[in-house]
Amino acid sequence: MKTFWQLFWTYLKIGTFTLGGGYAMLPLIQREVVDRRHWLEEKEFLNMIALAQAAPGLIAVNSAIFIGQRIYGWRGVMACVLGAVVPSVVIILLIAMYFRQFKELPVVDAIFKGVRPAVVALIAATVVRLIRKI
Amino acid sequence: MVYWQLFIAFLKIGVLGFGGGMAIISLIQNEVLSYGWMSETEFVDIVAISQVTPGPIGMNCATYVGYTAGGVIGSLVASVSIILPSLAIMLTLCRVYDKLNERWHDNRVYQVCMRIIRVLVVILIAYAAWRMVTPATFADRASWGIFGVVFACMCVPELLPAKRMVPQAIKMMADIVSHPILLICLAGLAGYMLYA
Repeated sequence: MKTFWQLFWTYLKIGTFTLGGGYAMLPLIQREVVDRRHWLEEKEFLNMIALAQAAPGLIAVNSAIFIGQRIYGWRGVMACVLGAVVPSVVIILLIAMYFRQFKELPVVDAIFKGVRPAVVALIAATVVRLIRKI
Repeated sequence: MVYWQLFIAFLKIGVLGFGGGMAIISLIQNEVLSYGWMSETEFVDIVAISQVTPGPIGMNCATYVGYTAGGVIGSLVASVSIILPSLAIMLTLCRVYDKLNERWHDNRVYQVCMRIIRVLVVILIAYAAWRMVTPATFADRASWGIFGVVFACMCVPELLPAKRMVPQAIKMMADIVSHPILLICLAGLAGYMLYA
């Protein structure tokens, strides 16, 4: 049961801080799943990306399924997929219900102007960190 | 029955959605327009919001479209149905992958093949980063500054000598400055202070 909550919490963090789509979550997965928890080693991390990329569907969800299955069977799959998806669904529902003008806020625009180049840097750094471990 | 329509449409997207995020958005667009759930401009707005909210873009878009077409239940139907095909396909792929590993792990040819795949994946990630270097994202010097600082922070742990002993405190420092979540928050703060 402890593993369930660890997986859920890990993917909740990954789901919440995936800003700017697709590859933006790779540095987060690398940090949480490879460096911190040692659930995968770098080689397997890369194999996982290949599989998640090759299968249809959302890469974030596919990677959640792979890691969940690997660590804790079907319960792990539940934990990771829920963790990856819940922040997204909750935030979008709140915005759709109460806050449709969200993206027109100058504050949001300003924050994203800062976050976007940072996300590019995170992904570029992931490449640097993986190259030696191929 | 809109729930049934959502279920079928997003199941289909889950099966056919190769290539992740943006590829999936265009599939969603086709379904949205063919069912007439909303106008094209409304959909463009939804895509824009999906890009500036946390979470995978495809998921955000699916949830939002589901909500617009069928309320809260619609959004849940859409987000669950886009995941279902992934579950079946990914679990099968995992099994195949495990079987292959078990049977061939000390086979030279297999090892080389897997290695080539890993090289391609790294190139793919590099290409994804490269494609994000657009004039809109890097509009001024400050954005290059943010890029540089974040990149440097992320590379700090790589600079520690691997063979020699490194004091625990320095290791911890390197660990903290290279935390992606922390860096994303700081970059957001920097954006707020620079542009708002």
